[in-house]
Amino acid sequence: MIALLIARNTFREASRDRMLFGALGAGAALLLATQLLGPLALGEGVRLTVDLGLSGITFLGLILVLMVGTSLVSKEIDRRTIYNLLSRPLARHVYLAGKWAGLTATLWTVALAMGAALSLLLAVRGHAEYVPGIAQATVLAAFELAVVTSCAVLFSALSTPVLSALYTAAVFLLGQWSYDLRAFADRFPAPVSDLCRLAANVVPNLPVFNVRTLAASAQCAPAAHVLIAGAYAAVYCACMLALATAAFESRDFK
Amino acid sequence: MPETRHPSQPRGAVTGDEPAIRTRGLCKHYRNPWTLRVTQGLADLDLEVRRGEVFGYLGPNGAGKTTTIKLLLGLLQPSSGGGTVMGEPLGSIASRRHLGFLPEQPYFYDSLTGPEYLEFTGRLSGIGAHDAHGRARHWLGRVGLGGREKLPLRKYSKGMLQRLGLASALLHEPDLLILDEPMSGLDPFGRRDVRELILEQRERGATVMLSSHILPDVEMLCDRVGVVLGGRLVRTATVDDLVAVRQQKVEIRCTGAPLVAMPERWQTHVTRFELPEGTTFVLDDAHDLNDVLAWLVGARAVIRAVTPQRPSLEDFFLSVAESQASEQRTA
Repeated sequence: MIALLIARNTFREASRDRMLFGALGAGAALLLATQLLGPLALGEGVRLTVDLGLSGITFLGLILVLMVGTSLVSKEIDRRTIYNLLSRPLARHVYLAGKWAGLTATLWTVALAMGAALSLLLAVRGHAEYVPGIAQATVLAAFELAVVTSCAVLFSALSTPVLSALYTAAVFLLGQWSYDLRAFADRFPAPVSDLCRLAANVVPNLPVFNVRTLAASAQCAPAAHVLIAGAYAAVYCACMLALATAAFESRDFK
Repeated sequence: MPETRHPSQPRGAVTGDEPAIRTRGLCKHYRNPWTLRVTQGLADLDLEVRRGEVFGYLGPNGAGKTTTIKLLLGLLQPSSGGGTVMGEPLGSIASRRHLGFLPEQPYFYDSLTGPEYLEFTGRLSGIGAHDAHGRARHWLGRVGLGGREKLPLRKYSKGMLQRLGLASALLHEPDLLILDEPMSGLDPFGRRDVRELILEQRERGATVMLSSHILPDVEMLCDRVGVVLGGRLVRTATVDDLVAVRQQKVEIRCTGAPLVAMPERWQTHVTRFELPEGTTFVLDDAHDLNDVLAWLVGARAVIRAVTPQRPSLEDFFLSVAESQASEQRTA
């Protein structure tokens, strides 16, 4: 209940941030750009629209995580707004869970708005068969953003906003390359291969949330894939928040 | 043992011997992670704040006031020692149920409005949604911010933020109020309003612990004060006890004495000021008062007023701080 209050407050704060309107404006501009570039794509205009539109959801979501999420906790510590909250009867893990849930809800709203705009655009242009794939890809992109946000909350609870942003961006990139890291591990000798394997196991397996190629072909992934990806995201987020709590629980606020 | 209270009894006026705040040997050390150098924030604090009293916590900057408050709230973990707040372990969630806290120079969420912020913090303190809505509007008006319901907090002045912070600390009618520099940033009207609110809380039966640099306010409000210096609590007493032990000065104002030379035997403890409206003599104590008056009358001076000067808490505080500093230099 308390976590929901904090989540609601975080959502309200984030939804009034100019950054959010900037992201939505950039999303609209991206969709417009796909319409202008479509005729140059030699018959692949719809595919280009779907691919770029869905990539835009992840990219703009990532920008929001880096700009807002990585300072989510550290900004509260720097500005001492956290004193007003932690001096009340609430546990620190509840606070962290609430912050994560609030920002995740904000990102899901952005993803939903962009997914809906993309679907509407294609439906209006007579390509309604792409809509189920776009809906599925949007849901998976939202899961992906929840995972990246949990990493941002962990780093934000431990470090400064700039370093948190760098760490989160690094985790996102390594997560996107997690299959490549496993491939590298097989090709290099012992210390390097161990390191690559360790990195591949620790960073989130983000390609599991990427079904953009299927959506761009008006196809859907099996429902089981979405369920497994959802469960994976939930477990990964829980692990990150548990780590953040462990670090945050005994932290002194000087 | 469960707390028993008649419905008509104020929430803070809990019967029982357990003080509102009790610490035993509370210490806080900070270790620099790079140099490993240890800095003492607070040493061996044994503090008791009784239920229903207004307790002033005094000390210069860096003395350990805010460190103590943060330890009581659980924002810092003690290096050693412990204590209770309203009978609950220090820093526990249960202890924070009884608390209202105003931090020094409070900051809030920029894009929220006053009522939104108060509702949010009220609900975090356990008030239901409907009740929080009503109380938020009531307290906004009570601290003089009524009519600004739609103004985002980024447009609030420093004094307005201080008032909002106070409303947020009081909204849930806590048994114990901890106020860190509550008068900071307020104009004289604001200070008067805060003084009235604090006295109102005492009437309600709440315990108030406040730290402040504005000593006349502390003197006016507090039943007892504690003085912390260099991370150590050096004295706890009632304001009257603290100032009564000091010598009482006496001021004599007269006219017609500018050319009269003062006898040499009084030079060390009688100070003379020549002012346009007459001459003022300040006696360090009342011991020589009759002799000085007799001498002035004999010298044909006209006595206009004889005023005993009650030593202020400020005098006491400065003398304790100076004596502590000289002891440290000697050591």
